[in-house]
Amino acid sequence: MDTRTPVLVLGASGFIGSHVVAALSSHPAYRPIAASRKAAADGSRVALDATNPDAVRAAVREVGAVVNCLAGGEGAMTRATTALCEANPARIVHLSSMAVYGAATGTVREDHTPVQPVGGYGQAKIDAEAIVRRYADAGGQAVILRPTCVFGPGSSQWTTRIARLLQARRLGDLGSAGDGGCNLAFIDDLVDTVIASLDAPSGGVFNISSSAELTWNQFLLRFARALDATPVRRIPARMLRLETKLLAPARRIGSKLVKSPVTEAITPSLAALFAQDIWIDCSAATAELGLRPTPLDRMIDTSVRWLGPRPPGAPDARPRTRVARPGAAVTAGQAGR
Amino acid sequence: MILHADELPPGATLSAEICIVGGGPAGITLALTLARFGHDILLLESGDLEANDATQALNAGEVADETLHSPPDKYRVRCLGGATSIWGGRCMPFNPIDFEARPFVPHSGWPIGYEEVERHYPAANALCEAGEYEYDARLAVSGGMRPLIAGFAPMHFDMNGIERFSCPTHFGDRYRARLRSLPNVRVLLRSTVVRLAASSDGARITQVEARDSKDRPFTVTADQFVVAAGGIETARLLLASHDVHAAGLGNAEDLVGRFYMCHIAGTAGALKVVGGRETVWHGYDVAWDGTYCRRRIALRPDVQRQRGVGNVIFRLHHPRIADPAHETGPLSAIFLAQRFISYEYAKRLVSDAPPTPGLWLRHGFNAVRDAGSTVRFLTHWLRHRTLAARKFPSVIIRPRRNLFSLDFHAEQVPNPDSRITLGNSVDRFGNPQVRIDWRYTRQDVDTVLQAFNLLRGDLAEQGVGTLTLAPNEQDIETVVRRDGAYGGHHIGTARMGASAATGVVDRHGKVFGLSNLFVAGSAIFPTSSQANPTLTIVAMSLRLAEHLRDVAGRVARVRTAVEAVSAD
Repeated sequence: MDTRTPVLVLGASGFIGSHVVAALSSHPAYRPIAASRKAAADGSRVALDATNPDAVRAAVREVGAVVNCLAGGEGAMTRATTALCEANPARIVHLSSMAVYGAATGTVREDHTPVQPVGGYGQAKIDAEAIVRRYADAGGQAVILRPTCVFGPGSSQWTTRIARLLQARRLGDLGSAGDGGCNLAFIDDLVDTVIASLDAPSGGVFNISSSAELTWNQFLLRFARALDATPVRRIPARMLRLETKLLAPARRIGSKLVKSPVTEAITPSLAALFAQDIWIDCSAATAELGLRPTPLDRMIDTSVRWLGPRPPGAPDARPRTRVARPGAAVTAGQAGR
Repeated sequence: MILHADELPPGATLSAEICIVGGGPAGITLALTLARFGHDILLLESGDLEANDATQALNAGEVADETLHSPPDKYRVRCLGGATSIWGGRCMPFNPIDFEARPFVPHSGWPIGYEEVERHYPAANALCEAGEYEYDARLAVSGGMRPLIAGFAPMHFDMNGIERFSCPTHFGDRYRARLRSLPNVRVLLRSTVVRLAASSDGARITQVEARDSKDRPFTVTADQFVVAAGGIETARLLLASHDVHAAGLGNAEDLVGRFYMCHIAGTAGALKVVGGRETVWHGYDVAWDGTYCRRRIALRPDVQRQRGVGNVIFRLHHPRIADPAHETGPLSAIFLAQRFISYEYAKRLVSDAPPTPGLWLRHGFNAVRDAGSTVRFLTHWLRHRTLAARKFPSVIIRPRRNLFSLDFHAEQVPNPDSRITLGNSVDRFGNPQVRIDWRYTRQDVDTVLQAFNLLRGDLAEQGVGTLTLAPNEQDIETVVRRDGAYGGHHIGTARMGASAATGVVDRHGKVFGLSNLFVAGSAIFPTSSQANPTLTIVAMSLRLAEHLRDVAGRVARVRTAVEAVSAD
């Protein structure tokens, strides 16, 4: 008989949730109960409507802790967090986001106040955190984690999307538009801190990031090199403006119809993040949750291996033209390697 | 933040921990780096975000021989970013031999070793946006770059060195947002420094006196001052600040403004390479990081020592544009478009005598007859130069019949008689204008001559090609004089030395005899190398920033201790 403490993982079919479940499965002290909107056919996940207070109350009754990895729309996030806190589980490890800091700049610790514009997603995360805090104030045990851009195998946003855009030469060296702080939380590091949070003192709020002093340009260059998406293109500022202002809306509409690198949008908020001079400080998580960041090279190598060979139809990595085309008397030659 | 001096109240006095005079690549590198170290920085830039005629007029002055040196208001730009607003972007580190005291180069030898500068080249490369610090043709591009001339392994030259190209990065545009967002940096535009004021005992600088764009005075006090105003303006400022030090700051030994070097550079010769077009590759390759890279032919250091000549490199070049005998449409198109090309580039591209109507006609004929090539060239230029953010660095034209000319870029040896002095005229603030008396020596000519002869011998010996000089180039001195001082490289006017007898500044860049005055930029280079100066200006500025961090840290600790004592 399994005597390990059961831990309910909400949003278990998602990117972060599935990694948490996998890590808990082999944990000596905890065992996961994976829950998502739809049950898995193999029985590995149970179905749970997280916005239904009665269902949630029933689900948390027997567990030692709940890890809240719920994604979804902004209203659903608030409703689900309310339902969870009202069900009053023994402990909540709540996944928030660096989006709660909004447009903050400089070195950002956990006590930093949000800076407008925060955005709809960031505001929903702020609201959800407030609900969890009220639960903690009322005697519940809670730990709030604020991961930065979660990178690694399985990350569609920060691994697949960025890789596709680099391979399509739509991202590259962004010049001053890419000088912002690139704060990446490697998925394995995040999962480690989630598990550490199951035992941590209640009431903690922690930034979780694996990169330090890394700019987006530096990251994009290293990632592109590892992906063999070279030579890296210098993206003109006007191209980036064209992407965010004109092409992004069209691509987003297109993405509803077909999933392809062509419909991958560079949204204004993504472009703003590339330039945001924000440096997330993780010293609290290092000290209290034992966060030991994975080196960037390993993060990138692992991700590139997971991405596998380039999908068919992707643009070739080689340059098309390096110098002026040959003419009758004039050549500027053609690179042929 | 970025402000301009016109916003200051009349007669304002500002203060900062470190005051930097000049917002070019040196000043911006210092500000960005020192700000990261936590220091409070005030950077004074004479110009605005863009150059304007009124401020640019402050660069005026006289030139002793106008056939040898460009006017003082050319290649120098008063704006945030300085001359990086017009540079070509060629990046190239110095070589270890440049730092040695070479018996055959008078006044040579740096008080620091190559490794002290090399340590900063990777970060300098990054700031210049010239990609990674890799200058070996075998490693810069995966699989190695193709050979310049297939099968050519000369005895006297290294063929594996490359130059890398910046975007070219305009430091003012590129780093403006960062300078604006740094809380401990104030960039003050429209601030022309007219004098550095020394204390009555002459031991330190107490303040700088400056004028805003409406000629109103203000002052800045600081713990440390750095002059990073360019090789010509730095000498002018030191010499013009002569109220306490009669000969000017740091000039007790009469060294300020002397040893003024540019480079000995130009285009000459006819190199006919044996074999088909595939034998030669003189264009650019692209490194993984997107940087354009190009091979060059460098005279080996052991040969320099053995022959007693300076450092020098060659590049394969298209025929001289002005001579329509090249029968090449794109080159003639450039000739015809010369009025649209800025002075700084037109000088090197076109030059020669004023064009006659007949010459225009012959070029027009070339451009029309070779219309296909001309159109292809212009299309490529538009796409990869005009519209690109990382620009194709230069005109690369494949000449007919494998017939090239040679670009040479040679070290100029330090010469105390080549100098910047104060002239008789004054600018609108009453400050003396500069007088530029650039001189080359027999040894400079000899470096070029020997290099040509050695290359000719190596080519002939290996049966790779023939190198000949035209009748009017037989005397290599006429070639040196034809192109004169290489524009924009202003070196050596506040040279670094082991002692005040041999240098204006010490190994850190601090002016001898003044406790808190530093100089950054190519003014402090004791020798000129074969390399274009910008990359090394940035590397040396990073090095100075580390030193200033230590100095400013000590000052802060002493201040804290004094305050603690007086509080008791």
